Amino acid sequence: MVALLEPAVPLAGPAEAVARPVALQWAVRFGTGLGRALAIVVPVGLVSTFVTFALGSFSNSNPAAAVLGDLATPADIARMNHQFGLDQPLLVQYWQWITAALHGDLGTSWFTTIPVADSIKQTLPVDLSLTALAMLIALLLGGAAGIAAALRPGSRFDRAVTALCAIASTVPAFVIGIGLIIVFSVLLPVLPSGGYVPFTENPVQWLRFLILPALALSLDLTADIARQLRNSLVGTLRENFVTGAEVRGLSRRRVVFRHALRNAAGPTLTVLGVRVPQLIGGAVITETLFNLPGMSKLTLDAAAQQDIPVIQGTLLVAITIVLLANVLVNGMLVRLRPQARRRSG
Amino acid sequence: MTALRRALQLRSARISLGLLVLVLLVGIFGGWLAPQDPLAQNTAAILQGPGSGQWLGTDYLGRDVLSRLIDGTGRSVFGALEAVGVAMLLGIPAGLASVVFGRVFEWVTLRFVDSLMTLPFIIFAVAVAGILGNGPNQAMLTIGVLLSALFYRITRAATLGLTSAQYVEMAELLGASKNWVIRVHVWNKVLPTIAVTTANCLAAALLAVSSLTFLGIGVQPPVSTWGGMLASDLNFLSQRPWAPVIPSLMIILTVAACNALADAIRDTTGVSPTARTGITGPAAGAGSAQGIGPAQGIGPAQAGPAQGASAR
Amino acid sequence: MSRALLEVKDLRVSVGAGTGSRPGEGGIEAVHGVSFSVGRGETVGLVGESGSGKTLACRSILGVLAPGCRIDSGAISFDGSDLLGLDRQGWDGVRGTRVAGVFQDPASYLDPSLTVGHQLSEQLRVKLGRGRREAHAEAVDLFAAMGLHRPDRVYHQYPHELSGGMVQRVLIAMAVSCDPELLIADEATTALDVTIQAEVLELLKKLQAERGLSILAVSHDLATIAELCDRVLVFYAGELVEAGTTEQVLQAPSHPYTEALLRVASVGNWERRELEVIPGNPPPVGTQHLGCGFADRCAFAVDRCRDRSIELIERAGRSVRCVRADDVALSGVRLIA
Repeated sequence: MVALLEPAVPLAGPAEAVARPVALQWAVRFGTGLGRALAIVVPVGLVSTFVTFALGSFSNSNPAAAVLGDLATPADIARMNHQFGLDQPLLVQYWQWITAALHGDLGTSWFTTIPVADSIKQTLPVDLSLTALAMLIALLLGGAAGIAAALRPGSRFDRAVTALCAIASTVPAFVIGIGLIIVFSVLLPVLPSGGYVPFTENPVQWLRFLILPALALSLDLTADIARQLRNSLVGTLRENFVTGAEVRGLSRRRVVFRHALRNAAGPTLTVLGVRVPQLIGGAVITETLFNLPGMSKLTLDAAAQQDIPVIQGTLLVAITIVLLANVLVNGMLVRLRPQARRRSG
Repeated sequence: MTALRRALQLRSARISLGLLVLVLLVGIFGGWLAPQDPLAQNTAAILQGPGSGQWLGTDYLGRDVLSRLIDGTGRSVFGALEAVGVAMLLGIPAGLASVVFGRVFEWVTLRFVDSLMTLPFIIFAVAVAGILGNGPNQAMLTIGVLLSALFYRITRAATLGLTSAQYVEMAELLGASKNWVIRVHVWNKVLPTIAVTTANCLAAALLAVSSLTFLGIGVQPPVSTWGGMLASDLNFLSQRPWAPVIPSLMIILTVAACNALADAIRDTTGVSPTARTGITGPAAGAGSAQGIGPAQGIGPAQAGPAQGASAR
Repeated sequence: MSRALLEVKDLRVSVGAGTGSRPGEGGIEAVHGVSFSVGRGETVGLVGESGSGKTLACRSILGVLAPGCRIDSGAISFDGSDLLGLDRQGWDGVRGTRVAGVFQDPASYLDPSLTVGHQLSEQLRVKLGRGRREAHAEAVDLFAAMGLHRPDRVYHQYPHELSGGMVQRVLIAMAVSCDPELLIADEATTALDVTIQAEVLELLKKLQAERGLSILAVSHDLATIAELCDRVLVFYAGELVEAGTTEQVLQAPSHPYTEALLRVASVGNWERRELEVIPGNPPPVGTQHLGCGFADRCAFAVDRCRDRSIELIERAGRSVRCVRADDVALSGVRLIA
């Protein structure tokens, strides 16, 4: 009655016409993705670092003035300028600076003559601890709230979560921080309102010092994650492939966590990727509020003293982190949405 | 401004606008409204609670809190306005131009704007303040320059969507000059989008100003600002634990009003600044407590870092 | 007489009910008391236009009605046990291992972020307890058995990278992987090329023969039904209007709607030159009407078609819902065996 069954021929994939091992395919996909990301990130990085560097040249300050103040004679100024290489053309200085930076040398402070890289190495862990803890809180709290709300769409719980998120987004972090201090350090003196201890020295104390600032820092991100995840997940749960998984007899937990969440996480990840650099760059307020000896504090002090190399160094590090986070987020997004790979070509 | 008129049909918009107008009035006439001299110290009566003559009590130097609050409103509000003004002046023409002036200009400005957005906001503002001097104008200028990136993107996205719209083609076919088309059609559609962004940016700028003044950047004591008051209140929390509430409330309410206005305009005119630039969800509200945080496109998957007036 | 594998009794389903904070309120009835059964090893076809209720019936059997749809009354039993009272865990025990489904637009029913091989392996690991390596190998074997060329390569493809026919084979592989007793195929071949359609139908027939699989096939295309099914159930406006064996219904239809369908489809008559349509439209879902819903479009309608509620009459192994069944002479098609 009908023609004989012919074995189906698979679609030729992009460029993998002949039998190539799967690992090589994957490497090629990854390589081109990375290449594309770098092609955009590198020029951007160069420009922003140049702006950072050039900023210093606008300053009226110079090493002699910074150290000697009014006592600096023109001879002193010239001598110290030469010592710090400041009498060369701007682009040359920039090039020297950036190439040295790639080797880990960020110059020396005009004030303390401590290598900038060392100062940063000392203070960066504080920022990283704070940001990491804040991100963790945001992910756990926001994720849980978002998922729970998505699983009961339209319920009172869902509406309560949405309302709470709206409120949390309006209140600035330093207000929350102050509020937390009032409640937990003044009214119920349970937690300290300032200071820091490295994790390696005393984990418990580390947590006690960081929990309030991390909470304050994370609240806005938590609200965003919760709201974004809830909306994504509600939409994803209506898609056919969720029905498909249910029809195959997979449990609710597996369907939600192994399938729906994977697909709904994309926009949430974008939010995270965007906010993480903000978190780092903007932790200044929280660090000041809670007296944490981080990189932002370093920058603040340097700004007050017009210690240019330190300012340039910290900005450079911050920019690098931002760009790294960007590349990472892009990479994860591509992995989560393989169908987008085609279009991004 | 039909966009605004339409938005005012919503009650939330009317309340928000009312509040903003009130704040603005206080900002303008603050000097005359303040019951007492905001700078007058009275060391005999420091850290008092609310009482006769000082409705909100006194601070650590005996100065009347209410007067300081009223006086500081102008500084915070006009600082934010200045920043947004700079942002619009730089960003909007650049955005329009990037669509009209060809691919090279477009690519260059795009990458430049990307770079602007990788600069960590507050640290950068602090750095500029340190280098160029710690005056209010420098700080606002910095915020303005960084915010302009947002206006650039929004304007560009809205214009891009429109120049290929069919009615623009029709108008050109019918003989209208390109300039006229831009003026009449493009502008009328782009304007609501800009209005929304402006409202959101105002909120963001206000937060930025508060954050910077909290850190002592942009103004010097003894002059009062909302952020500055919060900073000094911190030192005396045990004596007056409720002191931070008032300036905080001012900040929160004004920011919320700006955002609510933005939402109202967006809802009633159907513009979606999110649609084309790929900004997702709440991150699009460039006036959330974090400040600007749209997912701007750096890289293939359209996710990029954006620095905002992060009030952290 | 052995018990039927699937028994649907008097099923009533409504759509458009409220969701969210007030679930289940409102709604209009779209399936008006449908009953049928599927025996072991039997292939039953549900035919009808869109909106006739056939897909709703199938989704009820699988327990995957869309939000806003609700089963108002009736009973569905599988191998003697009631399905409608099952909780999520109960359903998880039945779906996949005893009842399976494949649908139209197969690619959309797969997780787009995982390879097809991974998803089939997952099925084998979770439902049958296979180990990772075992599952991988078995998945490749299953793909091969479904006629997929280079199954080891297909394993690592994503759903969007495969053609329609291939994805449907993948879905069928997943459906039969746990050896279910009943496969529900809802418009499974509709969106595919004609040649691929034929191949997939062949595959289904092969599976039926090899595994003793019962199939409940839904289609608006009579040719597909004719090809695949032993018995045919004709749906119209949420009701069963005719039922019988494929030969009976297609060669000697009793209901004017069936005859109209046959005329419109391309079954049997290869010399036809004109495109035929059934004039008019089916009544909108949920409209209450007295009498036959097809009356306005029926060439044979008389007054008694419209003035009373019409029962499904069973006779000699066939059923028909028409007051004029005995009066009118309808022509069918000749099936080439």
